[in-house]
Amino acid sequence: MADTPAEQPAESALQELMEVESIAIRFAGDSGDGSQLIGGEFANTSAIVGNDISTMPDFPAEIRAPAGTLPGVSGFQVRISSEDIFTPGDEPQVLVAMNPAALKTNVNDLPEGGIVIANTDNFTRNNLRKAGYEESPLEDNSLSNYRVVKVPLTTLHKEAVAHVEGLTNRQIDMMKNMFALGLSYWIFDRPLDPTIRMLEKKFGSKPNIVDGNVSTMKAGYNFGETVEEFQVRYHIKKAVVAPGTYRAITGNQAAALGLVTAAQKAGKTLFYGSYPITPASALLETLAALKNFNVRTFQAEDEISAMGSTIGAAFGGAFAATGTSGPGIALKSEAMNLALMMELPIVICNVQRGGPSTGMPTKAEQSDLLQCMYGRNGDSPMAIVAPATPSDCFDMAVEAFRIAIATMSPVIFLSDGYLANSSEPWRIPNPDDIPAIETNHPTDPETYQPYNRDPQTLARPWALPGTPGLEHRLGGLGKEDGTGNVSYDPDDNQHMANIRAERIARIADRIPLQTVMGPKTGDLLVLGWGGTYGAIRSAVKRAQQKGQKVAATHLRYLNPFPKNLGDILQRYKQVLVPELNMGQLSLLLNGKFPKHVISYPKVQGLPFKISEISDKIDDILGA
Amino acid sequence: MADAVETPKLDRKDFVSDQEVRWCPGCGDYAILAQMQRVLPELGIPREKLVFVSGIGCSSRFPYYMNTYGLHTIHGRAATVATGLKVANPDLHVWIVTGDGDALSIGGNHLLHVLRRNVNVNILLFNNRIYGLTKGQYSPTSPTGKVTKSSPMGSVEQDLNAISVALASEATFVARTVDRQTKHLAEILKRASEHQGTSFVEIYQNCNIFNDGTWSFATEADVKDDNTLLLEHGQPMIFGKEKDKGIRLNGLAPEVVTLGDGVSEEDLLKHDETLDNPAHAYLLSRLMYPDFPVPLGVFRNVQRPVYEEQVVAQNEKAVEERGEGNLHALLHAADTWIVPEGPDGETVREVSEEEPSLSDIIPDISQEDQLAPRTSLQHFMYDPISSLDLPTPHSIPAQTSLSEAIKLMRDENAGCLLVVNKKQRLVGIFAQGDLFEKVAGSDIDLQNTTVAEMMTKDPTVLKASDPIGHILHLMSLQGYRHIPIVDPDGRPISLASFKVMLQFTGGLFAEPSVN
Repeated sequence: MADTPAEQPAESALQELMEVESIAIRFAGDSGDGSQLIGGEFANTSAIVGNDISTMPDFPAEIRAPAGTLPGVSGFQVRISSEDIFTPGDEPQVLVAMNPAALKTNVNDLPEGGIVIANTDNFTRNNLRKAGYEESPLEDNSLSNYRVVKVPLTTLHKEAVAHVEGLTNRQIDMMKNMFALGLSYWIFDRPLDPTIRMLEKKFGSKPNIVDGNVSTMKAGYNFGETVEEFQVRYHIKKAVVAPGTYRAITGNQAAALGLVTAAQKAGKTLFYGSYPITPASALLETLAALKNFNVRTFQAEDEISAMGSTIGAAFGGAFAATGTSGPGIALKSEAMNLALMMELPIVICNVQRGGPSTGMPTKAEQSDLLQCMYGRNGDSPMAIVAPATPSDCFDMAVEAFRIAIATMSPVIFLSDGYLANSSEPWRIPNPDDIPAIETNHPTDPETYQPYNRDPQTLARPWALPGTPGLEHRLGGLGKEDGTGNVSYDPDDNQHMANIRAERIARIADRIPLQTVMGPKTGDLLVLGWGGTYGAIRSAVKRAQQKGQKVAATHLRYLNPFPKNLGDILQRYKQVLVPELNMGQLSLLLNGKFPKHVISYPKVQGLPFKISEISDKIDDILGA
Repeated sequence: MADAVETPKLDRKDFVSDQEVRWCPGCGDYAILAQMQRVLPELGIPREKLVFVSGIGCSSRFPYYMNTYGLHTIHGRAATVATGLKVANPDLHVWIVTGDGDALSIGGNHLLHVLRRNVNVNILLFNNRIYGLTKGQYSPTSPTGKVTKSSPMGSVEQDLNAISVALASEATFVARTVDRQTKHLAEILKRASEHQGTSFVEIYQNCNIFNDGTWSFATEADVKDDNTLLLEHGQPMIFGKEKDKGIRLNGLAPEVVTLGDGVSEEDLLKHDETLDNPAHAYLLSRLMYPDFPVPLGVFRNVQRPVYEEQVVAQNEKAVEERGEGNLHALLHAADTWIVPEGPDGETVREVSEEEPSLSDIIPDISQEDQLAPRTSLQHFMYDPISSLDLPTPHSIPAQTSLSEAIKLMRDENAGCLLVVNKKQRLVGIFAQGDLFEKVAGSDIDLQNTTVAEMMTKDPTVLKASDPIGHILHLMSLQGYRHIPIVDPDGRPISLASFKVMLQFTGGLFAEPSVN
């Protein structure tokens, strides 16, 4: 590097290698800056050196917002830790800002003393204006609370790749994020080798591209070492991780794999009918690519059609699923009720987003719980499962099908945008260890009746069209049990309503009992569900380390609740329920159990911070 | 239908269910049900392979009365359920029974899409031009002016023509028949069943309670021959009690003519149901009472790939290309790392063979990416100038002296300067070319001449939202070397130079995937 930056401090500061348990870094820039790409690679390398990782992308609010503008900023946060971690972290200690807009939208999340790495080459008058800065924040002292490292990244990058032949300007431009990655590796004491090997494998046939990427990454790393701008480097010890093969996985990927796995474990076709909607579309896209697994995807003309198609597919004998978000559930509800009346096994995935109405499609909320519980006409009990982490989406998707098939009823898989898009390491299960899902299709006309029930599960038989002698009609009208004939008889109607409720209630017999993390009795139980798992668990762990008598429990089954939930609630003096809604689970719990729970609602489109829950715990315990 | 050979011969009674039929006495639905139960044994389809799917309405009770598999679904959605069923099991023979409200009002969207997809189902639309089940409100096929309980002063809505709607939705088989003409009805049902792809059949059906006689012009013995036209493939369009009238084309307009008197069969429009272009069928669909006889029979009968067969074919192709899906491989289809037993083992990384797809790295952002231009040409055509990283221009006030301007150009190595007025609006451009042409060699006082006197006034400018292609176009057409980019108020914000554009053009030919 011929040219070191002009802003080099006069005196060399001491570089110290600081051992920390956990740290978070956020990469932010235009979509084209590849923040997601280098963030993902940073996470991969960290996983390989033995840290636990958790990542969270932050998408631009607008599709293809112009480069350099505030709505065009995308970000990617990675948290790495020597301990088991559950969230991507509250606030990043380091922010890599590729342009003024990225700085502006992200800098407020940084704690005092945090490091800002800014690409000064992009702090042009034009870009500053687009971000709404009058003056460059790098020059006007407004960032005095942070440690700002000014890096003429584009310039340095171009020099670093100058020796590589045959690169177009566009290619060179696309590689510049690797400089930032190299610099981040230096700050966090990560090796370059895993990334170099990855580049060699992926671009082996294009040596100049490997050379360009590696050269600039090394230049970034060396820049950190040379400029003495950084007073501190961080070292994060290895986490104790169970042996096995791992991959990073997002909630939507895991859910899609879970749906396929369930169908495969039953030797069935997977039918997935869906209408594109944020943040559930990735399910449809992922499944559409898996046609060699006998997956049949149907991109329906609307949400209603998507739901209707699953009813037909389930009647025809496929493992049928649909996926959507809250607005889609609203449209599907009438057809969901038809599935309930016809008693057909269907999995309905709701990847929740900010509501009501169109709300905040790219932001996460848990505010569809009551919609899923009660948002249909008539008494309409429906089973609901809720994954707690991105990788748990796999297990709960399989579980949703297991329940649907066992009870012959629709099951709601209640995920959210935060789970859907966050990723974490997943110890890949051996599919051979996953129990098969048994399906039974009657063939004997002598004993068959459409609504003859299994005395244990109350499930009716799943007779398939094409079976001679079992011709029958299903419909949404009130009916007689057994024959399924239309009936408006008062007793029949009461009986069928009882059966539908009882069938769901009995699911509690087959699901695991609720467990708690921490003391079996105590001052406070923090109870959550869905994507708040990480924040709750981390906050409760902190509280326990402080000596507070606090336990955590996380519900993965919301309807029915695990059988022992009422007992658990009684064992703590108080129960706190943090939720990304205005208190919906609290309402259910307070309606069902004598214990009064304290609601802690939040609807800001953002996940809970660990510190918010910690503060609330302290508040309640008077600490 | 190979399986039909093995099937024991069925008769009408085999298709009658044990349910009591509960339509109003005299309803046209009875005739349709009877014909269906008569026709099905002739088709040789095993009973267990038949599924009747309906929505809500009087007609939608139909599945209960058929001793086959059946689904009585919700209002308007029968097509969606049938589509899912056919995709799950393409071997089934699926009939959709619907009405004018069910199919054209609440289920209009689904009708459109099932037709365009060409799912291999048969749709029977019982059109009685009224809402019967809800006791007499106007429907989307009720004629304008129709007085009903919900339109006491007459409906002010334009009615829909079901056949026209089906044709506009790319239907491959479109026919019309009448409940009272049982032979014709039976024949159309058979043909609908035989067609591969969606068969759409409109059945004029009488609601004797709420809309009695709505089709009497087409059903009453004394007038029906004069008011209906039986479509026969390859035959001239002749109708009338005396078979003496015909349809002739006058330019693009059909007209009724009387045979004889200089008009022969040769002059008449000939029916061809197999025409790929739907214009002929559409023209027929617009023949409406009382100006024309309404056509009965098959309007259109063409072949197009069947939706569910293509879905299954993609499954088969995927297996052929990639092999039967392997769950173990699927779960590992990503970059993986192996954490060994014991604290000191080294973690091993396995890089996935697959190129990283953007959706792997940026889950759920793929909509954004799909909108991004894919080809160099698209970059060139659609990307706005604002997406280029153009340098900020050097702006100078109009009263700047030439000597100052030249010094600035030398110091900044600038090819040109933008001249602005007091409001910072662009008034001219002063480029190296101006220097050579107007200043060099002439006797000009550089200190006392302003740049405004020598600049090129009102230069061609572009806006940041204009496509990049406009810059290249102007440069190649006009030979400009610099084009100022200005904001809506005419203030310069950047400068497109020949050099920068050359770099950009070079970049268009880059490999799309760099890291």
